[in-house]
Parts: sequence; C-alpha cells; structure tokens
Amino acid sequence: MLTFFFALVFALSATSAVGVVASRRPLYAALSLVVNMLSLALLFILLSGQFLAAAQVIVYAGAVMVLFVFVIALLNPLRDEGPGGDPRQTLIAVLIGAGMVGAAAVAFLGGGLGSEFSSQDSIAGGAQLGSIQAMGSALYRDFALPVEATALVLVVAAVGAVYLSRGK
Amino acid sequence: MLHPSLFLLLSAWLFVVGAVGVLVRRNPLVVFMCVELMLNAGNLALMTFARIHRNMEGQVFTLVVIAVAASEVVVGLALIVAIYKSGRKMDIDELSELRG
Repeated sequence: MLTFFFALVFALSATSAVGVVASRRPLYAALSLVVNMLSLALLFILLSGQFLAAAQVIVYAGAVMVLFVFVIALLNPLRDEGPGGDPRQTLIAVLIGAGMVGAAAVAFLGGGLGSEFSSQDSIAGGAQLGSIQAMGSALYRDFALPVEATALVLVVAAVGAVYLSRGK
Repeated sequence: MLHPSLFLLLSAWLFVVGAVGVLVRRNPLVVFMCVELMLNAGNLALMTFARIHRNMEGQVFTLVVIAVAASEVVVGLALIVAIYKSGRKMDIDELSELRG
C-alpha cells in the first residue's frame, strides 16, 4: 500500500515538473507547480518531516503560488508562448539536461538501491525526527542566530518589494 | 520502497527539469517558477539527507530555503510588475540592459 502510494506521488511529482516547463500558458505552469509542491509535501511526510510538509503547503502552495497567480491575473499575459524560441537553444538545453539526469542516475543508482529507511527514527534526545518538538528545539537552541538572520532577510525583501512597486 | 536513492534521483530530475526550463522559457514569470522548482529539488535532497542521518539539520536548512525562496519571489515579482509598468515587452531575451 505504501509502495503504491509512493510510486503514485513520485510519478505525480516528476510529471507535474515537466508540466511547469512545457505548458503554453503561464497559468497552467503555475497550477502544475502547485501540484508539484503538494506532491513534494506528501514526500516530506514520507521522509518524516511533518512540520515541513505543513510549511510547504502553507508557504509554497499557499502564499507563494497565490502571489504568482495574482501577478499572472494582473499582467494577463495573453500571448501563447510555448517553450519554443530558438530551436538550437532548446536542443542544447535538453541535451545538457539529459546528460545531467543520466549522470545523477549513474551516481545514485550505480551502487544498487541501498538500504531502505529504518522504521526507528527518533533523534538524540528522544524526540521524534521532524516532529514540532524536535524542530522547535533545533531552531531555537542550535540555530537561533540563523533564524534571526532569516527574519532580517524577510524584512529586507518586504521593504525592497514596497520600494520597487511604489507609485511615482 | 523508501530507498534514499529514489528520493535523490527525483530531486535531481526536478532540478534538471527546472534548469532546462530556465534555459528554454522566455517569459520571466515562468522562469521564476522554474527557479522555484529548482529550490524545491534542493529541499527534497536536504530532507532526504536529514532522514538518512536522522538529525534535524537538514530540515532546518529546508525551512531557511523556504523563507529565502519566499523573499526571492516577493522581490522578483515586484521587479516583473515594475518592468511591466515601464511598458517593456515581457521577454527575457529582450530585457538585456544589464548585459556587460
């Protein structure tokens, strides 16, 4: 059952990524990206990252993609623009991409599939990996300074966006 | 079925598809979406390694990447709206004022 579910989410994620690149209208690309992010959230749950699965759905599939869809609605790019353009450019990009995927497949699958994840997944200290307790203790005990720096980044980004979009 | 290699392979696939999209597409909005795809691929790899080594560092990195991606989208979309308001054509190949 879990295997079937994993294969389904895996295939959904891989195909919706292609949909982002290949769809003609920007809105369809955005919807493919929403599907991709939701399937990644499911994969995060399989990787025992419950908190980050929720963050993925709320921040990415919620906030970020709503922003994208708002801008698409605002600018209304009617022109159907596929991935066409210079065919030589496309061919080179696809060839480089195929080479990179092939190299990654050799690197990751060359030594066999490796061992599966163990079912025992508690970290040092007893909390379950990815639980809100483990996340909070990691964020505010070991990584307090990076968290504060992230807050600074977000504030600077908000100020920059307001500056860029101010009326003349 | 939950082999780490499969997760890493999916991560590489998502990253490469995003990179090809950045190279091939010309609409700046779609290019931004492809960049988001690449960031998500990095997140998946970080989560996989956090699971393999059974510690929280990878998940904290993922959270930071999500925050940075959100800031990047905010600034990028503000830039796109500013470009649109200036009346230029929305085409990556046309917007070449910064070419050295």
